[in-house]
Amino acid sequence: MTGDVEHLTCKEFVEVLTDYLEDALDPAERADVERHIVICRGCSNYVEQMRSTIDLLGRMGDDAADGAHSEKLLGLFRAWRAGGAPT
Amino acid sequence: MQPVAIPAGQRPGGEDERALVAALRRGDETAFVALVALYGRPLLRLARTFVRDGAVAEEVVQETWLAVLNGIDGFEGRSSLKTWIFQILSNRAKTRAVRERRSAPFSALAADDDGAAVDADRFRGEGHRWVGHWAAAPADWRHLPEDRLLSKETLARVREAIETLPPRQADVLVLRDVEGWAPDEVCDALGISDGNQRILLHRARSKVRAALEHYLLEGAPA
Repeated sequence: MTGDVEHLTCKEFVEVLTDYLEDALDPAERADVERHIVICRGCSNYVEQMRSTIDLLGRMGDDAADGAHSEKLLGLFRAWRAGGAPT
Repeated sequence: MQPVAIPAGQRPGGEDERALVAALRRGDETAFVALVALYGRPLLRLARTFVRDGAVAEEVVQETWLAVLNGIDGFEGRSSLKTWIFQILSNRAKTRAVRERRSAPFSALAADDDGAAVDADRFRGEGHRWVGHWAAAPADWRHLPEDRLLSKETLARVREAIETLPPRQADVLVLRDVEGWAPDEVCDALGISDGNQRILLHRARSKVRAALEHYLLEGAPA
């Protein structure tokens, strides 16, 4: 392989994937990445794994709501207002 | 209670923000509740990336809100309100973290900051015709049963993976991918450049993916 036909190795691909997904590559680099995805099954799977990972991360947000914590904050606010606000 | 609307992409000195700041100065509870609804959860998440103990993280968040209330009269709007609040949290959480991390076992793991996205031994080495190409290619997760990928156990592994990330990587990952913030909002809140934000996001996502791959392979038939 001289690199004439294919510019990216898989090892390089996994390092530029975030720049690709974030749309931070120039058009030539972007075309390289897209060509690589088409011809490489392993990297195509890798991209899908990364998308699944991002999707899973987006599902983590639902369990952090904490009613008791919000209650405490409201108490804190009322105490602050009672003690600190000018009359 | 009438919520105070704040656009996600608010800018310093915006009209909505000025109204919110003015309301807070007056001691308007509705404004405070609206602000907590917006930033309470991401603040707690960010605090937890610095201090593992959930109770301590809550304390840090409470201290932050108190500092916000006490400082609101002096807030000059040079940065956005959001940036200002997150900087207060960051500073406080770091101070607490320095104390707690010394005895925490995961500081050793967190030191690994410059690793490759994928272990080098997954690729063909020098001398091979396909140097740099997969020796052990990633599997197709679309073949997994959907309930396995989305199981509570899998989500627990994701959480564990986040907890072992270096704090800066965890910050960016949580704000971007868990909370769904835009890149420039994350840069503002954490005071980092766009390029830096992307590097941290890259390392963090890569590590979480690797942890998931490891976990999902464990349960796969040989």
